Amino acid sequence: MNAWELIIQQPLINVLIVVSHAFADNFGLAIIALTILVNLAMLPLTLSQIRSTRAMQEIQPKLAELQKKYGKDRQKMAQEQMRLYKESGIKPAGCALTFLIQMPVWIALYQAIMLTLAVAPEGLLNLSRYLYSWDTLFPLLPLNRDFLVMDLSQPNFILAILVGATMWIQQKMSATTTPADAKQAQQAQLMLWMMPMLFGVMALSFPSGLSLYWVASSVFRIILQYRVSGWGGLRRQKPKQTEAEKKYIKFDAAVQKKSTDDIGADIVVTDSSKPGAAVTRPERTRYQPGKDRAPKRRKK
Amino acid sequence: MKPKRNWLNKIPFVVAAVLAVGLVAVGCVGGMAPVGWSGGTVSGGTLYVGSSEGQLVAVNLTDESRRWSEQLQATSRPGLFGCAAGGSTAVAIYGSPVVVGDLVYIAGYNGKIYAYTAATLSSRWVFPREGYFEPFVGGLVAGGGKLFVGGSDGKVYALDAATGDKLWEFTTGDKIWATAAFYENTIFEGSGGQFTNEDTLFIGSFDKKLYALNANDGTKKWEFTTGGAIITTPLVFDSTIYVGSFDRTLYALRAADGVEKWRFTGNNWFWAQPAVWKGVIYAGNLDGNVYALDAENGGKVAEFQTGPLSAAPVVVDDFVVFAAKNGAVWKIDTASREMAKITDLVAEVDGPLATSDGDVYIHAQGTSLYRINIGSGERRLITLKSGE
Repeated sequence: MNAWELIIQQPLINVLIVVSHAFADNFGLAIIALTILVNLAMLPLTLSQIRSTRAMQEIQPKLAELQKKYGKDRQKMAQEQMRLYKESGIKPAGCALTFLIQMPVWIALYQAIMLTLAVAPEGLLNLSRYLYSWDTLFPLLPLNRDFLVMDLSQPNFILAILVGATMWIQQKMSATTTPADAKQAQQAQLMLWMMPMLFGVMALSFPSGLSLYWVASSVFRIILQYRVSGWGGLRRQKPKQTEAEKKYIKFDAAVQKKSTDDIGADIVVTDSSKPGAAVTRPERTRYQPGKDRAPKRRKK
Repeated sequence: MKPKRNWLNKIPFVVAAVLAVGLVAVGCVGGMAPVGWSGGTVSGGTLYVGSSEGQLVAVNLTDESRRWSEQLQATSRPGLFGCAAGGSTAVAIYGSPVVVGDLVYIAGYNGKIYAYTAATLSSRWVFPREGYFEPFVGGLVAGGGKLFVGGSDGKVYALDAATGDKLWEFTTGDKIWATAAFYENTIFEGSGGQFTNEDTLFIGSFDKKLYALNANDGTKKWEFTTGGAIITTPLVFDSTIYVGSFDRTLYALRAADGVEKWRFTGNNWFWAQPAVWKGVIYAGNLDGNVYALDAENGGKVAEFQTGPLSAAPVVVDDFVVFAAKNGAVWKIDTASREMAKITDLVAEVDGPLATSDGDVYIHAQGTSLYRINIGSGERRLITLKSGE
């Protein structure tokens, strides 16, 4: 048995069997219970991830502005981007770290469920090597795989639909703002549909015990997302002016003498190919990278 | 001017693709797809075995050539990612073939039982004739002109060996993955001077019970409840039944009435059928030990460390031969109680061993069949791969 199996898989499998027995040999309830338990254990990480995602979405207009402003100067762009992250309280490395910690746990739980399901005879035989030498554990196998009207070892169409639906709802809720850039908006829309559809199709091929785990996970995150940011992107939003338009209006009000045709004037462009080119300083009312304060936090 | 494409925009798609591929890769954990672990059966110089390609293969043991093979018909298409239950195009075969007279029989995971003519492999009959039953994991057993098999639907079926007609069925409380044991017993009743057929079928079920059924009509003679599911083929010896259970215990029961004689507990499941030689039971356990127990009282005679065992052993001369899951093949000298390693196959072995003329045949994982001479330790590989 390798380290991964010994430290991660084996404990999870044994806990899963014991929990199943605690729920009157109902493996379906055991999957739901363990999914909730693992989610609760990772709650601080998940919350931090949700907040980071939200903050990231909130600074999207500013990032777009930076892109326009320093698009050609990558170094400056990166510096300003980092400054913006810092001021907004976002730690990009923290997001990645959270993801890196969560992923193995999800994979382990996923594998534990698949192994414990012991779909084929080889699976049941293989399971014997993961069992702790607890007296009560051995007679509990093979687990009862019936849950409601489903056989958890077989794919289930309704659960596959639920996998896609709950995943879509969760993703839609987490998307609180629509990217100003049309391309990005299109991409976000594509992602919103692609992942749920992908998982839905996969669920049609995997044992429904795994689908149950995916549904339970998504429902948990939906509840969490609702507690943090309400219905988010799921609520029908009134058409708003894009951030770019807002900036333009602000700028237009401040610089009265400028022509309305000169929309690009609010962006400082440094073109080294034209020495001595006039540089228009932006007005204080607009966002100034590195000088603006972090946006006000939402009252809790 | 054409705007430059930002590769960063593609990151979400790359992440999604990697996630999907990763999930599929880690999702296909071991034991998801049924492969099979059929052992071999030797009859008239031919070895019959179910291959991992879903074929019944007949090997001529004289020159180790393939006499013929027949593909079992698959019921369903594999899952999209090959991870779903039954997700294989080949029919998994777990039970060893059975040869009676000129017919060879085999049960498939596709829920069908096939009878072929042993000489030419022409199909004689199939059961059920239409459709498919739940998967058959346990093998067939023959006796008294009948064939007996337990199915994943929890039923024991008795078929006419010649025609494949169903004679009777008996329903247990859960799935049956065990092979039955047939006990031929004709009693002479003194006063009337009549012979009474008392043939009995012993079979275990996931409902934790061992059933003793009248082999003639399927009526229950008795049942014995253990502490766990039963997957082991019972061993019948000297009017006693020896059967292992998932409660890690090997039970010795009186064949006549199911009264417990003794029990012995190991550290893991007794998965494989035990062997008996000269009043000693040799029972392999998944805890990595072979326990030698006194057949009369269950007292431990000796213990041998072989590695986890799921394959039923065979007795060759005065040796009991075991193959551990990791492919190590051991022989235990029943006289001196000494154990020696014969060879290391470096391949997983789960199916029961077969023997003929001092050779042991081991069907290892994949398409390899090994022929091992117990005396010399010589090992020969016979491939079961089609086209070779």
